[in-house]
Amino acid sequence: MSGGVSDMTIVLRSLQTRALATGVATALVAIAVALLLVLLSLREAASQAFRRGTGNTHLLISADASPLVAVLNGLFYANAPANPIPWAKFKEIEDGFPWQWCIPTQLGDSFRGSPVMATRAEFLTDFEPVAGAPFQFSDGRVFEEAFEVVVGSSVAQDHSLQVGQQIVFSHGSSGSREGGHEHADHPYEVVGILQPTGSAHDRALFTNLASTWVIHAEEKRAHDTEAPVAEAPTPKSDASSSPKGEASDDHQHDHAHDHVHVDEADLRDDEKLITGILLRIPTRPGSDSSASIAAQFDRMRRDVSITVAQPAQQIGRLMALIGDIDWLFVAMAVVVLVSSAASILLAMVSSMELRRRQVAILRVLGASAWRVFALAITESTLIGLLGAGLGAALALLGGQIATTLLQERVGVVIAGAIDLRSAVLVTAGAVVLAAVAGIIPAIKAYRTSIARHLRPLA
Amino acid sequence: MTNFDPQGGVSIRGLRFRYDRGFTLEVARLDVAAGEQVLFAGASGCGKSTLLHLISGIETPETGSLFIGGTDICALRGSARDTFRGRRVGMVFQTFQLLQGFTALENVLLSLMLGAPTLDRPRVRAEAALERLGMRDLHAPVERLSVGQQQRVAVARAIVTEPSVVLADEPTASLDPANAEAAVDLIRSAARVAGAALIVTSHDPALRSVFSRTVDVAQFGVASATGLAGAAR
Repeated sequence: MSGGVSDMTIVLRSLQTRALATGVATALVAIAVALLLVLLSLREAASQAFRRGTGNTHLLISADASPLVAVLNGLFYANAPANPIPWAKFKEIEDGFPWQWCIPTQLGDSFRGSPVMATRAEFLTDFEPVAGAPFQFSDGRVFEEAFEVVVGSSVAQDHSLQVGQQIVFSHGSSGSREGGHEHADHPYEVVGILQPTGSAHDRALFTNLASTWVIHAEEKRAHDTEAPVAEAPTPKSDASSSPKGEASDDHQHDHAHDHVHVDEADLRDDEKLITGILLRIPTRPGSDSSASIAAQFDRMRRDVSITVAQPAQQIGRLMALIGDIDWLFVAMAVVVLVSSAASILLAMVSSMELRRRQVAILRVLGASAWRVFALAITESTLIGLLGAGLGAALALLGGQIATTLLQERVGVVIAGAIDLRSAVLVTAGAVVLAAVAGIIPAIKAYRTSIARHLRPLA
Repeated sequence: MTNFDPQGGVSIRGLRFRYDRGFTLEVARLDVAAGEQVLFAGASGCGKSTLLHLISGIETPETGSLFIGGTDICALRGSARDTFRGRRVGMVFQTFQLLQGFTALENVLLSLMLGAPTLDRPRVRAEAALERLGMRDLHAPVERLSVGQQQRVAVARAIVTEPSVVLADEPTASLDPANAEAAVDLIRSAARVAGAALIVTSHDPALRSVFSRTVDVAQFGVASATGLAGAAR
């Protein structure tokens, strides 16, 4: 523009002459908008990650204390379930209904802190970690023989695992009470690496049940034969460890039991321990629900020896629980947004004396009262727009950083979490609030007495 | 505004304005012809500024009519009056009242944009008005200009919309005698060139000799009964 002037020139000059106040108000709006957007997107992302993670399981059975714990342990690897389910119980459940699939799982071992799930091959072929999206292999195949392992994507990435590599598991998870000793005499061969699924399964390894049973049976039998020696009462150890505790004193005799050998065929039923069962009821094509789900749920719930959970329902409850807390954060962000609008109001009102003089001059030059009203509203709205734009950019950046951090620290893939609708709602909300903040200064401008504010400053 | 006569001057009929503090300004009849230059004289506080504010439509009288080029500004309401003022009345103030943060040229352009948006080639007009008054640096922010330069910008801003009347409120009050004379000369010649009537207010008796016609504003002041009662209290 070749030096022309417009109403926008007046507004921009006004913002420019009060650069500090404009900057502070804009920054406050930006921070509030960014905060709100990041909170909303993380909230959405977290709930998605949880909802996705239950996959296409209809029912989950464990011996955990509560259904929620069962789901968190069994599908999100929160902890290794403490109580086993006897093999007989599994057979009873498996034969009790024409399931689409019935998959036993056993958790307890770990590889450098990542949980190892012993299960059947169906877990990788029939169970879908995200409903509608079965596991895909980036390399290799499903485990077939004993001591073969398939590795989740984050585990493979974190430890640079490749197909053909030999790895050793530890008993228990790292940091747990019984964690520590390695099954060094039974290395596993990596036969497959999974593609990322965006679920907790990316952080796990999968192997067949027989391998795990064999290892533990060998250790158990070795321990049993050595038991009298191990439990020879010395005053010191008697005082510090419980006689029945298999965990802590297990380590002391190290791998002295290496020679005990068990074959898969030799396994006794009481050595075939599992910690969970995933169940899916046949459904009509294109549908994920069936009336039988509730019926089977109710039937099995009467069995007090097991805990039955509908994973989707449990996650819904968990989200409702977390929801109350994170609404608090959202409410706080809204308060920040409102106070940023208040800062616009303050910035404009505090400069009102200078502004009134300007208004009086504009009125003398022919501007109507409505025009100066509109100028004030435009000014505050512009701060809102600028702040909202900056805030959205900041949130995008913050979202990226948060996503990267979550992926690195927790191994959960959360991508594209900013949902357009809430982004538009938040930025529009900020702009509207800013416009509203301009109303009081605008009214003051509208009502400015020209005559009084034209008098020379005495 | 259909009967607006651009050649018409200012005509006041039966005007009555009451101040809050119980002092009334009454002008039964006063005419300033088109292109005429008049001094409104009187001591401070006698109502000179108020009279200018009434003529420009900034203040509204209790009763009476105030014609500028045949249009009664008192009959105009709201934005119609603002628009009329912007187009037909040019104002110059003692402290200039330029818009801070804008350049000399922008101050004049704003006057055109707000008061006379229908005039063509605003930039050419604004530049011409400033240059005619001897302004060279059109792009300097007004707060950096000397007092004399600021006065030129103020005058250019008042006449650029081709008003019917230019109102100058105490334009010399803050100037020394030499500069005061120059300032009055500047305003007078600018109004003459623009073809506008000129009303200058001043409490400075020296200006009486400059103007061919002087109106003593003190004669319009009436201490009303309520006002006296108020003053007695």
